[in-house]
Amino acid sequence: MATKENILEALADYQVQCNNNARLRRMQRDWSRLIHFFTEDTGDYFTMDVVKGEIVSYEAGVKGTPDIIVTTLSENLCDMFWGDLNPSQKYLDGLIKVKATQEDIMRLDAITMIIWPDV
Amino acid sequence: MAIDREKIKKQALADFSEYLGPMKARTMKSAGLDIIEDKRDGASIWDLTGKKYIDCQTGSGIMNVGRHNREIVQALKDALDTYDIGVFLLCSKQKADLAKKLAEITPGDLKCTIFGTGGGEANDAAIKLARGYTMKKEIIYAEKAYHGHTGFALSAIGRDAYKEPFEPLIPGFKMVPFGNAQAIRDAFTKDTAAVILEPIQGEGGINLPPEGYLQEIRKLCDEHGALLILDEIQTGFARTGKMFASEHWGVVPDIMTVAKSLGGGIYPISATIFKEELMDFFIPHPFIHLSTFGGSDLGCLVGLAVIEYIQKNHLADHAAKMGDRFRAGFDRFLKDYPALLLEVRQKGLMMGLQYTNSSIGPRLTKKLAERGVIAVYTGNDPTICRFMPPLVITPEEVDFVLNALEDSMKELSKVSGIGKND
Repeated sequence: MATKENILEALADYQVQCNNNARLRRMQRDWSRLIHFFTEDTGDYFTMDVVKGEIVSYEAGVKGTPDIIVTTLSENLCDMFWGDLNPSQKYLDGLIKVKATQEDIMRLDAITMIIWPDV
Repeated sequence: MAIDREKIKKQALADFSEYLGPMKARTMKSAGLDIIEDKRDGASIWDLTGKKYIDCQTGSGIMNVGRHNREIVQALKDALDTYDIGVFLLCSKQKADLAKKLAEITPGDLKCTIFGTGGGEANDAAIKLARGYTMKKEIIYAEKAYHGHTGFALSAIGRDAYKEPFEPLIPGFKMVPFGNAQAIRDAFTKDTAAVILEPIQGEGGINLPPEGYLQEIRKLCDEHGALLILDEIQTGFARTGKMFASEHWGVVPDIMTVAKSLGGGIYPISATIFKEELMDFFIPHPFIHLSTFGGSDLGCLVGLAVIEYIQKNHLADHAAKMGDRFRAGFDRFLKDYPALLLEVRQKGLMMGLQYTNSSIGPRLTKKLAERGVIAVYTGNDPTICRFMPPLVITPEEVDFVLNALEDSMKELSKVSGIGKND
Protein backbone atom coordinates (compact mmCIF):
# COMPACT_ATOMS: atom_id res chain seq x y z
CA MET A 1 0.00 0.00 0.00
CA ALA A 2 1.31 3.46 -0.90
CA THR A 3 0.58 6.57 1.10
CA LYS A 4 -0.69 9.84 -0.26
CA GLU A 5 2.80 11.25 0.22
CA ASN A 6 4.35 8.37 -1.74
CA ILE A 7 1.98 9.04 -4.62
CA LEU A 8 2.60 12.79 -4.60
CA GLU A 9 6.32 12.09 -4.68
CA ALA A 10 5.84 9.74 -7.64
CA LEU A 11 3.64 12.33 -9.36
CA ALA A 12 6.36 14.95 -8.92
CA ASP A 13 8.84 12.68 -10.63
CA TYR A 14 6.33 11.83 -13.37
CA GLN A 15 5.78 15.52 -14.05
CA VAL A 16 9.51 16.12 -14.43
CA GLN A 17 9.93 13.07 -16.68
CA CYS A 18 7.03 14.10 -18.90
CA ASN A 19 7.72 17.81 -19.11
CA ASN A 20 11.44 17.39 -19.75
CA ASN A 21 10.95 14.89 -22.54
CA ALA A 22 11.02 16.94 -25.74
CA ARG A 23 9.85 14.06 -27.92
CA LEU A 24 6.87 13.41 -25.67
CA ARG A 25 5.95 17.08 -25.48
CA ARG A 26 6.02 17.35 -29.27
CA MET A 27 3.95 14.20 -29.61
CA GLN A 28 1.32 15.28 -27.08
CA ARG A 29 1.16 18.96 -27.99
CA ASP A 30 -2.46 18.61 -29.16
CA TRP A 31 -3.54 16.85 -25.94
CA SER A 32 -5.13 18.71 -23.03
CA ARG A 33 -6.96 16.71 -20.39
CA LEU A 34 -8.01 16.94 -16.75
CA ILE A 35 -7.33 13.57 -15.15
CA HIS A 36 -8.62 12.24 -11.85
CA PHE A 37 -6.88 9.36 -10.12
CA PHE A 38 -8.59 7.35 -7.42
CA THR A 39 -6.93 4.79 -5.16
CA GLU A 40 -9.55 2.22 -4.26
CA ASP A 41 -7.63 0.77 -1.26
CA THR A 42 -6.82 4.06 0.47
CA GLY A 43 -9.67 6.20 -0.87
CA ASP A 44 -7.43 9.04 -2.03
CA TYR A 45 -8.05 11.28 -5.00
CA PHE A 46 -5.55 13.17 -7.13
CA THR A 47 -6.01 15.61 -9.99
CA MET A 48 -3.59 16.17 -12.84
CA ASP A 49 -4.00 18.95 -15.38
CA VAL A 50 -2.37 18.39 -18.76
CA VAL A 51 -2.34 21.36 -21.13
CA LYS A 52 -0.98 20.86 -24.63
CA GLY A 53 1.07 17.92 -23.46
CA GLU A 54 2.54 19.69 -20.41
CA ILE A 55 1.60 18.60 -16.90
CA VAL A 56 0.90 22.07 -15.56
CA SER A 57 -0.28 20.94 -12.14
CA TYR A 58 -1.06 18.00 -9.91
CA GLU A 59 -2.52 17.91 -6.46
CA ALA A 60 -4.24 15.71 -3.92
CA GLY A 61 -8.01 15.90 -4.03
CA VAL A 62 -10.57 16.42 -6.74
CA LYS A 63 -10.67 19.50 -8.94
CA GLY A 64 -12.91 20.23 -11.91
CA THR A 65 -14.72 17.87 -14.25
CA PRO A 66 -12.39 15.14 -15.45
CA ASP A 67 -11.91 13.98 -19.01
CA ILE A 68 -10.32 10.79 -17.72
CA ILE A 69 -10.77 8.84 -14.48
CA VAL A 70 -8.18 6.26 -13.49
CA THR A 71 -8.99 3.90 -10.63
CA THR A 72 -6.55 1.40 -9.17
CA LEU A 73 -4.69 0.36 -6.02
CA SER A 74 -2.36 2.93 -4.51
CA GLU A 75 0.64 0.71 -5.16
CA ASN A 76 -0.24 0.40 -8.86
CA LEU A 77 -0.64 4.15 -9.15
CA CYS A 78 2.78 4.71 -7.62
CA ASP A 79 4.31 2.08 -9.89
CA MET A 80 2.69 3.68 -12.93
CA PHE A 81 4.19 7.07 -12.10
CA TRP A 82 7.58 5.55 -11.36
CA GLY A 83 7.49 3.62 -14.64
CA ASP A 84 7.49 0.26 -12.90
CA LEU A 85 4.42 -1.16 -14.61
CA ASN A 86 2.85 -1.30 -18.05
CA PRO A 87 -0.48 0.53 -17.67
CA SER A 88 -1.97 -1.00 -20.79
CA GLN A 89 -1.33 -4.53 -19.59
CA LYS A 90 -2.71 -3.77 -16.15
CA TYR A 91 -5.77 -2.21 -17.80
CA LEU A 92 -6.35 -5.33 -19.86
CA ASP A 93 -5.90 -7.46 -16.75
CA GLY A 94 -8.57 -5.36 -15.07
CA LEU A 95 -6.18 -4.06 -12.41
CA ILE A 96 -6.37 -0.49 -13.63
CA LYS A 97 -9.79 0.85 -14.59
CA VAL A 98 -9.95 3.81 -16.92
CA LYS A 99 -13.00 5.79 -17.87
CA ALA A 100 -11.93 7.52 -21.06
CA THR A 101 -12.03 7.26 -24.80
CA GLN A 102 -9.89 4.61 -26.46
CA GLU A 103 -7.74 7.42 -27.88
CA ASP A 104 -7.06 8.78 -24.38
CA ILE A 105 -6.28 5.33 -23.00
CA MET A 106 -3.78 4.93 -25.82
CA ARG A 107 -2.29 8.34 -25.04
CA LEU A 108 -1.71 7.40 -21.40
CA ASP A 109 0.06 4.24 -22.49
CA ALA A 110 2.09 6.16 -25.07
CA ILE A 111 3.48 8.38 -22.28
CA THR A 112 4.87 5.32 -20.51
CA MET A 113 6.24 3.89 -23.74
CA ILE A 114 8.16 7.05 -24.57
CA ILE A 115 9.58 7.62 -21.09
CA TRP A 116 10.19 3.99 -20.18
CA PRO A 117 10.39 2.04 -23.48
CA ASP A 118 11.29 -1.21 -21.74
CA VAL A 119 8.24 -1.28 -19.46
CA MET B 1 18.91 -27.93 -37.91
CA ALA B 2 15.67 -27.05 -36.15
CA ILE B 3 14.33 -23.57 -36.80
CA ASP B 4 14.03 -21.51 -33.63
CA ARG B 5 10.56 -20.12 -34.30
CA GLU B 6 10.39 -18.29 -30.98
CA LYS B 7 13.53 -16.41 -31.92
CA ILE B 8 12.26 -15.57 -35.42
CA LYS B 9 8.99 -14.33 -33.95
CA LYS B 10 10.71 -12.21 -31.34
CA GLN B 11 12.90 -10.61 -34.00
CA ALA B 12 9.92 -10.03 -36.31
CA LEU B 13 8.00 -8.29 -33.52
CA ALA B 14 11.03 -6.19 -32.62
CA ASP B 15 11.55 -5.20 -36.26
CA PHE B 16 7.86 -4.43 -36.66
CA SER B 17 8.01 -2.23 -33.60
CA GLU B 18 11.11 -0.42 -34.83
CA TYR B 19 10.25 0.00 -38.50
CA LEU B 20 6.45 0.02 -38.65
CA GLY B 21 4.94 1.09 -35.38
CA PRO B 22 6.02 0.78 -31.75
CA MET B 23 2.62 1.66 -30.34
CA LYS B 24 0.81 -0.79 -32.58
CA ALA B 25 3.22 -3.57 -31.58
CA ARG B 26 2.85 -2.64 -27.91
CA THR B 27 -0.94 -2.56 -28.08
CA MET B 28 -1.09 -5.94 -29.81
CA LYS B 29 1.21 -7.40 -27.16
CA SER B 30 -0.87 -6.01 -24.32
CA ALA B 31 -4.01 -7.48 -25.88
CA GLY B 32 -2.40 -10.91 -26.26
CA LEU B 33 -2.44 -10.45 -30.03
CA ASP B 34 1.31 -10.35 -30.61
CA ILE B 35 0.80 -12.98 -33.25
CA ILE B 36 2.95 -13.43 -36.33
CA GLU B 37 0.73 -15.19 -38.83
CA ASP B 38 2.32 -18.23 -40.39
CA LYS B 39 0.14 -20.98 -41.89
CA ARG B 40 -3.44 -20.04 -42.78
CA ASP B 41 -6.25 -22.41 -43.74
CA GLY B 42 -10.04 -22.20 -43.69
CA ALA B 43 -11.13 -20.39 -40.55
CA SER B 44 -7.75 -20.84 -38.85
CA ILE B 45 -4.34 -19.30 -38.69
CA TRP B 46 -1.24 -20.53 -36.94
CA ASP B 47 1.22 -18.30 -35.14
CA LEU B 48 4.90 -18.76 -36.01
CA THR B 49 5.26 -20.69 -32.78
CA GLY B 50 2.57 -23.14 -33.90
CA LYS B 51 -0.35 -21.93 -31.78
CA LYS B 52 -3.65 -22.21 -33.66
CA TYR B 53 -6.33 -19.53 -33.66
CA ILE B 54 -9.80 -19.29 -35.15
CA ASP B 55 -9.81 -15.97 -36.97
CA CYS B 56 -12.97 -14.02 -36.17
CA GLN B 57 -11.40 -10.72 -37.16
CA THR B 58 -10.40 -11.46 -40.79
CA GLY B 59 -9.32 -7.89 -41.46
CA SER B 60 -12.97 -6.91 -40.90
CA GLY B 61 -14.29 -9.18 -43.59
CA ILE B 62 -11.53 -9.75 -46.11
CA MET B 63 -11.52 -13.52 -45.84
CA ASN B 64 -15.08 -14.63 -46.65
CA VAL B 65 -13.80 -17.56 -48.73
CA GLY B 66 -11.46 -18.62 -45.92
CA ARG B 67 -7.81 -18.05 -45.15
CA HIS B 68 -5.45 -18.96 -47.99
CA ASN B 69 -8.22 -20.53 -50.03
CA ARG B 70 -6.44 -22.97 -52.32
CA GLU B 71 -8.81 -22.52 -55.25
CA ILE B 72 -8.24 -18.78 -55.23
CA VAL B 73 -4.50 -19.25 -54.83
CA GLN B 74 -4.55 -21.59 -57.82
CA ALA B 75 -6.50 -19.04 -59.87
CA LEU B 76 -3.81 -16.46 -59.15
CA LYS B 77 -1.02 -18.94 -59.93
CA ASP B 78 -2.65 -19.80 -63.24
CA ALA B 79 -3.06 -16.12 -64.06
CA LEU B 80 0.58 -15.44 -63.28
CA ASP B 81 1.64 -18.01 -65.87
CA THR B 82 0.39 -15.67 -68.59
CA TYR B 83 -0.45 -12.25 -67.24
CA ASP B 84 0.86 -9.38 -65.19
CA ILE B 85 -1.25 -6.55 -63.78
CA GLY B 86 -1.93 -5.12 -67.22
CA VAL B 87 -1.73 -1.50 -68.37
CA PHE B 88 -4.54 0.51 -66.85
CA LEU B 89 -4.91 2.70 -69.89
CA LEU B 90 -5.81 -0.17 -72.22
CA CYS B 91 -9.05 -2.11 -72.41
CA SER B 92 -8.85 -5.51 -70.75
CA LYS B 93 -10.80 -8.74 -71.14
CA GLN B 94 -10.26 -9.56 -67.47
CA LYS B 95 -11.70 -6.21 -66.35
CA ALA B 96 -14.63 -6.62 -68.73
CA ASP B 97 -15.34 -10.15 -67.49
CA LEU B 98 -15.35 -9.16 -63.83
CA ALA B 99 -17.40 -6.01 -64.44
CA LYS B 100 -19.97 -8.10 -66.33
CA LYS B 101 -20.07 -10.64 -63.49
CA LEU B 102 -20.53 -7.87 -60.89
CA ALA B 103 -23.44 -6.50 -62.94
CA GLU B 104 -24.96 -9.99 -62.86
CA ILE B 105 -24.68 -10.57 -59.11
CA THR B 106 -25.42 -7.10 -57.74
CA PRO B 107 -29.08 -6.21 -57.12
CA GLY B 108 -31.33 -4.33 -59.49
CA ASP B 109 -29.95 -2.35 -62.37
CA LEU B 110 -26.43 -1.77 -61.06
CA LYS B 111 -24.33 -2.32 -64.13
CA CYS B 112 -21.13 -0.35 -64.68
CA THR B 113 -17.91 -0.48 -62.69
CA ILE B 114 -14.86 1.56 -61.73
CA PHE B 115 -12.14 -0.65 -60.29
CA GLY B 116 -9.76 0.28 -57.50
CA THR B 117 -7.41 -1.40 -55.08
CA GLY B 118 -9.11 -0.83 -51.73
CA GLY B 119 -12.28 0.26 -50.00
CA GLY B 120 -11.29 3.88 -49.43
CA GLU B 121 -10.48 4.27 -53.10
CA ALA B 122 -13.83 2.71 -54.05
CA ASN B 123 -15.69 5.19 -51.83
CA ASP B 124 -13.62 8.10 -53.14
CA ALA B 125 -14.68 7.13 -56.63
CA ALA B 126 -18.32 6.81 -55.55
CA ILE B 127 -18.39 10.28 -53.99
CA LYS B 128 -16.57 11.83 -56.95
CA LEU B 129 -19.05 10.20 -59.32
CA ALA B 130 -21.99 11.42 -57.24
CA ARG B 131 -20.72 14.99 -57.25
CA GLY B 132 -19.73 14.86 -60.89
CA TYR B 133 -22.98 13.35 -62.09
CA THR B 134 -25.37 15.45 -60.01
CA MET B 135 -23.26 18.64 -60.18
CA LYS B 136 -24.13 19.07 -56.50
CA LYS B 137 -21.73 19.24 -53.60
CA GLU B 138 -23.21 17.99 -50.35
CA ILE B 139 -22.70 14.49 -49.04
CA ILE B 140 -24.73 13.18 -46.08
CA TYR B 141 -23.08 10.48 -43.99
CA ALA B 142 -23.73 8.77 -40.66
CA GLU B 143 -22.27 9.03 -37.17
CA LYS B 144 -19.85 6.15 -36.48
CA ALA B 145 -19.66 5.45 -40.21
CA TYR B 146 -16.50 4.00 -41.64
CA HIS B 147 -15.68 4.39 -45.32
CA GLY B 148 -11.87 4.36 -45.40
CA HIS B 149 -8.96 6.69 -44.76
CA THR B 150 -8.48 8.29 -48.18
CA GLY B 151 -9.52 11.85 -49.07
CA PHE B 152 -13.24 11.81 -49.81
CA ALA B 153 -13.84 8.68 -47.76
CA LEU B 154 -12.10 10.17 -44.70
CA SER B 155 -14.41 13.16 -44.87
CA ALA B 156 -17.33 10.72 -44.52
CA ILE B 157 -15.98 8.85 -41.49
CA GLY B 158 -18.18 9.35 -38.44
CA ARG B 159 -15.42 9.51 -35.88
CA ASP B 160 -13.56 12.74 -35.09
CA ALA B 161 -10.38 11.07 -33.86
CA TYR B 162 -9.62 9.83 -37.38
CA LYS B 163 -10.16 13.26 -38.89
CA GLU B 164 -9.16 16.06 -36.54
CA PRO B 165 -5.37 16.01 -37.07
CA PHE B 166 -5.86 16.35 -40.83
CA GLU B 167 -8.37 19.16 -40.97
CA PRO B 168 -9.45 21.00 -43.00
CA LEU B 169 -10.97 18.06 -44.85
CA ILE B 170 -13.07 18.17 -47.98
CA PRO B 171 -16.00 20.58 -47.41
CA GLY B 172 -19.67 19.80 -47.97
CA PHE B 173 -20.01 16.74 -45.73
CA LYS B 174 -22.89 16.57 -43.23
CA MET B 175 -23.06 14.02 -40.44
CA VAL B 176 -26.39 12.64 -39.16
CA PRO B 177 -27.24 9.88 -36.66
CA PHE B 178 -27.42 6.41 -38.21
CA GLY B 179 -30.87 4.89 -38.30
CA ASN B 180 -32.74 8.20 -38.10
CA ALA B 181 -34.53 8.88 -41.39
CA GLN B 182 -35.88 12.20 -40.13
CA ALA B 183 -32.33 13.45 -39.55
CA ILE B 184 -31.49 12.68 -43.17
CA ARG B 185 -34.72 14.30 -44.34
CA ASP B 186 -33.75 17.43 -42.40
CA ALA B 187 -30.21 17.40 -43.78
CA PHE B 188 -31.24 17.42 -47.43
CA THR B 189 -30.85 20.65 -49.39
CA LYS B 190 -31.06 21.47 -53.07
CA ASP B 191 -27.30 20.89 -53.18
CA THR B 192 -27.30 17.34 -51.79
CA ALA B 193 -25.42 15.07 -54.17
CA ALA B 194 -25.64 11.81 -52.23
CA VAL B 195 -26.24 9.94 -49.03
CA ILE B 196 -23.53 7.41 -48.23
CA LEU B 197 -24.27 4.63 -45.75
CA GLU B 198 -23.19 1.17 -44.80
CA PRO B 199 -26.32 -1.02 -44.81
CA ILE B 200 -25.01 -2.42 -41.53
CA GLN B 201 -22.34 -0.34 -39.82
CA GLY B 202 -19.22 -2.40 -39.25
CA GLU B 203 -16.67 -0.26 -37.37
CA GLY B 204 -19.57 1.63 -35.84
CA GLY B 205 -20.49 -1.47 -33.85
CA ILE B 206 -22.50 -3.81 -36.12
CA ASN B 207 -25.40 -1.36 -36.15
CA LEU B 208 -28.35 -2.80 -38.02
CA PRO B 209 -30.70 -0.34 -39.69
CA PRO B 210 -34.16 -0.01 -38.16
CA GLU B 211 -36.90 -1.65 -40.20
CA GLY B 212 -37.88 0.54 -43.12
CA TYR B 213 -34.89 2.87 -42.72
CA LEU B 214 -33.00 2.05 -45.90
CA GLN B 215 -36.22 2.01 -47.93
CA GLU B 216 -37.06 5.46 -46.57
CA ILE B 217 -33.62 6.81 -47.44
CA ARG B 218 -33.98 5.39 -50.95
CA LYS B 219 -37.27 7.25 -51.29
CA LEU B 220 -35.82 10.50 -49.93
CA CYS B 221 -32.90 10.34 -52.35
CA ASP B 222 -35.29 9.88 -55.25
CA GLU B 223 -37.46 12.78 -54.09
CA HIS B 224 -34.45 15.11 -53.83
CA GLY B 225 -32.63 14.00 -56.97
CA ALA B 226 -29.73 12.74 -54.88
CA LEU B 227 -27.89 9.45 -55.20
CA LEU B 228 -27.79 6.65 -52.66
CA ILE B 229 -24.36 5.13 -52.14
CA LEU B 230 -24.28 1.89 -50.18
CA ASP B 231 -20.89 0.80 -48.90
CA GLU B 232 -20.98 -3.01 -48.90
CA ILE B 233 -17.27 -3.36 -48.27
CA GLN B 234 -17.72 -5.32 -45.04
CA THR B 235 -21.23 -6.61 -45.66
CA GLY B 236 -20.82 -7.83 -49.24
CA PHE B 237 -20.11 -11.22 -50.75
CA ALA B 238 -22.41 -13.40 -48.65
CA ARG B 239 -21.27 -12.14 -45.23
CA THR B 240 -24.81 -11.47 -43.99
CA GLY B 241 -26.53 -14.51 -45.50
CA LYS B 242 -27.26 -12.88 -48.84
CA MET B 243 -24.77 -11.90 -51.52
CA PHE B 244 -25.22 -8.25 -50.51
CA ALA B 245 -26.75 -6.94 -47.29
CA SER B 246 -28.95 -4.41 -49.08
CA GLU B 247 -30.89 -7.38 -50.50
CA HIS B 248 -32.31 -8.06 -47.02
CA TRP B 249 -34.25 -4.83 -47.32
CA GLY B 250 -34.85 -4.88 -51.08
CA VAL B 251 -33.03 -1.59 -51.58
CA VAL B 252 -31.04 -0.93 -54.74
CA PRO B 253 -28.54 1.90 -54.42
CA ASP B 254 -27.38 4.08 -57.28
CA ILE B 255 -23.80 3.25 -56.42
CA MET B 256 -22.49 0.27 -54.47
CA THR B 257 -18.91 -0.10 -53.28
CA VAL B 258 -17.23 -3.42 -52.63
CA ALA B 259 -13.67 -4.40 -51.75
CA LYS B 260 -12.22 -6.65 -49.02
CA SER B 261 -13.58 -10.11 -49.85
CA LEU B 262 -13.65 -9.46 -53.60
CA GLY B 263 -9.92 -10.17 -53.44
CA GLY B 264 -10.39 -13.32 -51.37
CA GLY B 265 -7.55 -12.28 -49.08
CA ILE B 266 -5.21 -13.08 -51.96
CA TYR B 267 -5.08 -10.00 -54.18
CA PRO B 268 -6.27 -6.44 -53.46
CA ILE B 269 -9.12 -5.20 -55.60
CA SER B 270 -12.19 -3.01 -55.11
CA ALA B 271 -15.10 -1.93 -57.25
CA THR B 272 -17.52 0.98 -57.45
CA ILE B 273 -20.59 -0.35 -59.22
CA PHE B 274 -23.21 2.06 -60.49
CA LYS B 275 -26.34 2.42 -62.58
CA GLU B 276 -25.89 2.82 -66.30
CA GLU B 277 -27.31 6.34 -66.42
CA LEU B 278 -24.44 7.55 -64.22
CA MET B 279 -22.03 6.52 -66.97
CA ASP B 280 -23.10 9.73 -68.70
CA PHE B 281 -20.67 11.54 -66.44
CA PHE B 282 -17.72 9.54 -67.77
CA ILE B 283 -18.61 9.73 -71.46
CA PRO B 284 -17.22 13.23 -71.89
CA HIS B 285 -14.55 12.52 -69.23
CA PRO B 286 -13.27 8.96 -69.86
CA PHE B 287 -9.92 9.60 -68.16
CA ILE B 288 -11.06 11.75 -65.23
CA HIS B 289 -10.69 8.99 -62.63
CA LEU B 290 -7.80 6.55 -63.05
CA SER B 291 -6.14 3.94 -60.88
CA THR B 292 -2.78 2.46 -61.84
CA PHE B 293 -3.30 -0.79 -59.99
CA GLY B 294 -7.09 -0.74 -59.70
CA GLY B 295 -8.74 -3.74 -61.30
CA SER B 296 -5.46 -5.23 -62.44
CA ASP B 297 -5.84 -8.24 -64.74
CA LEU B 298 -4.58 -10.48 -61.91
CA GLY B 299 -7.00 -8.97 -59.42
CA CYS B 300 -9.93 -9.36 -61.79
CA LEU B 301 -9.19 -13.05 -62.31
CA VAL B 302 -9.00 -13.48 -58.55
CA GLY B 303 -12.31 -11.63 -58.16
CA LEU B 304 -13.97 -13.92 -60.69
CA ALA B 305 -12.63 -16.97 -58.85
CA VAL B 306 -13.91 -15.61 -55.54
CA ILE B 307 -17.43 -15.04 -56.86
CA GLU B 308 -17.47 -18.48 -58.45
CA TYR B 309 -16.34 -20.04 -55.16
CA ILE B 310 -19.02 -18.21 -53.15
CA GLN B 311 -21.77 -19.25 -55.56
CA LYS B 312 -20.58 -22.85 -56.06
CA ASN B 313 -20.31 -23.47 -52.34
CA HIS B 314 -23.53 -21.63 -51.40
CA LEU B 315 -21.64 -19.53 -48.85
CA ALA B 316 -24.58 -17.17 -48.32
CA ASP B 317 -26.75 -20.05 -47.08
CA HIS B 318 -23.88 -21.43 -45.03
CA ALA B 319 -23.29 -18.01 -43.44
CA ALA B 320 -26.96 -17.86 -42.45
CA LYS B 321 -26.83 -21.34 -40.91
CA MET B 322 -23.60 -20.76 -39.02
CA GLY B 323 -24.97 -17.40 -37.92
CA ASP B 324 -27.96 -19.19 -36.39
CA ARG B 325 -25.61 -21.55 -34.57
CA PHE B 326 -23.70 -18.61 -33.13
CA ARG B 327 -26.97 -16.94 -32.20
CA ALA B 328 -28.13 -19.87 -30.11
CA GLY B 329 -24.94 -19.60 -28.04
CA PHE B 330 -25.11 -15.82 -27.80
CA ASP B 331 -28.71 -15.94 -26.60
CA ARG B 332 -27.68 -18.30 -23.82
CA PHE B 333 -24.84 -15.98 -22.82
CA LEU B 334 -27.23 -13.04 -22.67
CA LYS B 335 -29.15 -14.91 -19.98
CA ASP B 336 -26.12 -16.28 -18.14
CA TYR B 337 -23.89 -13.20 -18.16
CA PRO B 338 -26.13 -10.11 -17.89
CA ALA B 339 -23.40 -8.19 -16.05
CA LEU B 340 -21.15 -8.53 -19.10
CA LEU B 341 -23.42 -8.74 -22.12
CA LEU B 342 -26.09 -6.24 -23.10
CA GLU B 343 -27.06 -7.11 -26.63
CA VAL B 344 -26.32 -9.22 -29.70
CA ARG B 345 -26.27 -7.52 -33.09
CA GLN B 346 -26.21 -9.89 -35.99
CA LYS B 347 -27.01 -10.59 -39.59
CA GLY B 348 -25.58 -13.91 -40.76
CA LEU B 349 -21.90 -13.99 -39.88
CA MET B 350 -21.65 -10.26 -39.30
CA MET B 351 -21.91 -10.31 -35.54
CA GLY B 352 -21.32 -7.96 -32.65
CA LEU B 353 -21.64 -8.45 -28.94
CA GLN B 354 -22.35 -5.34 -26.96
CA TYR B 355 -20.70 -5.46 -23.57
CA THR B 356 -21.90 -3.53 -20.57
CA ASN B 357 -18.91 -1.17 -20.66
CA SER B 358 -15.94 -0.32 -22.82
CA SER B 359 -13.32 -2.00 -20.61
CA ILE B 360 -14.81 -5.45 -21.10
CA GLY B 361 -14.17 -5.58 -24.85
CA PRO B 362 -10.38 -5.25 -24.67
CA ARG B 363 -10.23 -7.66 -21.70
CA LEU B 364 -12.31 -10.30 -23.44
CA THR B 365 -10.17 -9.90 -26.55
CA LYS B 366 -7.15 -10.85 -24.46
CA LYS B 367 -8.89 -13.80 -22.82
CA LEU B 368 -10.16 -15.06 -26.17
CA ALA B 369 -6.65 -14.85 -27.63
CA GLU B 370 -5.36 -16.99 -24.76
CA ARG B 371 -7.98 -19.57 -25.78
CA GLY B 372 -7.16 -19.49 -29.49
CA VAL B 373 -9.74 -17.06 -30.85
CA ILE B 374 -9.01 -13.71 -32.49
CA ALA B 375 -11.88 -11.26 -32.00
CA VAL B 376 -11.42 -7.54 -31.54
CA TYR B 377 -13.71 -4.71 -30.54
CA THR B 378 -14.88 -2.36 -33.29
CA GLY B 379 -12.87 0.74 -34.12
CA ASN B 380 -15.64 3.28 -33.64
CA ASP B 381 -17.27 1.65 -30.60
CA PRO B 382 -15.11 -0.28 -28.10
CA THR B 383 -18.14 -1.62 -26.25
CA ILE B 384 -18.82 -3.87 -29.23
CA CYS B 385 -16.76 -6.96 -29.95
CA ARG B 386 -16.98 -7.91 -33.60
CA PHE B 387 -17.09 -11.50 -34.79
CA MET B 388 -16.62 -11.87 -38.55
CA PRO B 389 -15.14 -15.32 -39.15
CA PRO B 390 -14.53 -16.71 -42.61
CA LEU B 391 -17.80 -17.94 -44.12
CA VAL B 392 -16.31 -21.41 -44.51
CA ILE B 393 -16.28 -21.84 -40.73
CA THR B 394 -17.52 -25.30 -39.70
CA PRO B 395 -20.09 -26.11 -36.99
CA GLU B 396 -17.27 -27.55 -34.85
CA GLU B 397 -15.30 -24.33 -35.18
CA VAL B 398 -18.37 -22.28 -34.25
CA ASP B 399 -18.69 -24.38 -31.11
CA PHE B 400 -15.00 -23.88 -30.36
CA VAL B 401 -15.45 -20.10 -30.52
CA LEU B 402 -18.57 -20.23 -28.34
CA ASN B 403 -16.80 -22.39 -25.75
CA ALA B 404 -13.84 -20.02 -25.68
CA LEU B 405 -16.20 -17.09 -25.27
CA GLU B 406 -18.10 -18.76 -22.47
CA ASP B 407 -14.90 -19.71 -20.63
CA SER B 408 -13.62 -16.16 -21.01
CA MET B 409 -16.85 -14.63 -19.73
CA LYS B 410 -17.00 -17.11 -16.88
CA GLU B 411 -13.50 -16.10 -15.83
CA LEU B 412 -14.18 -12.40 -16.22
CA SER B 413 -17.46 -12.56 -14.33
CA LYS B 414 -15.58 -13.86 -11.29
CA VAL B 415 -13.82 -10.51 -11.02
CA SER B 416 -15.65 -8.70 -8.28
CA GLY B 417 -17.68 -5.69 -9.24
CA ILE B 418 -17.36 -6.09 -13.00
CA GLY B 419 -20.29 -4.81 -14.95
CA LYS B 420 -22.05 -1.59 -15.58
CA ASN B 421 -20.25 0.32 -12.87
CA ASP B 422 -16.80 -1.05 -13.66
